[in-house]
Amino acid sequence: MDSEATKTEFIRQVRTEFALENAKQLIEKINEHCFERCVPKPGASLSSSEQTCANQCMEKYLSAWNHINATYIRRLQREG
Amino acid sequence: MDKLDSASLDIEKLNETDKAQLRQFLQNENQKARIYSSVHSLTDMCFRKCITGTIKNDKLDKNEEGCLANCAERFFDLRALTVKHLQDMRQD
Repeated sequence: MDSEATKTEFIRQVRTEFALENAKQLIEKINEHCFERCVPKPGASLSSSEQTCANQCMEKYLSAWNHINATYIRRLQREG
Repeated sequence: MDKLDSASLDIEKLNETDKAQLRQFLQNENQKARIYSSVHSLTDMCFRKCITGTIKNDKLDKNEEGCLANCAERFFDLRALTVKHLQDMRQD
């Protein structure tokens, strides 16, 4: 492998690794919150209203995450 | 980075310029990861504080958005206060 290819591949692997870690954290948090919110009394299966709630909760959580991310970065830029 | 397929990648054989470039890249990725980690933590707390009651739809309303932004900002403010308080304590 020439050095350019090695560098590109290294960068790709590292980015993948970090992205996976980020996704893992996100999934864990979403699951905790939405389970708490939407499945107060676990039954023998997920009802359709529980599933609807979970989908809405996930969307809301992702929006919240994006909003906090933007606010956090703006604040970091202000404070340096 | 023990999951890296380092067997097929000969990082050691790269020249110093390339190695420095990769080191910088790793530093940046680590910093990004630290930021994301904080965002995860903040979102965790602020979601609990700001999205209350039953979940009725999949969009954040204006109040919830405002609350989330305030939540993040006040967290920063409190952190600055905490640091200052500890610094003042060390002076006594």
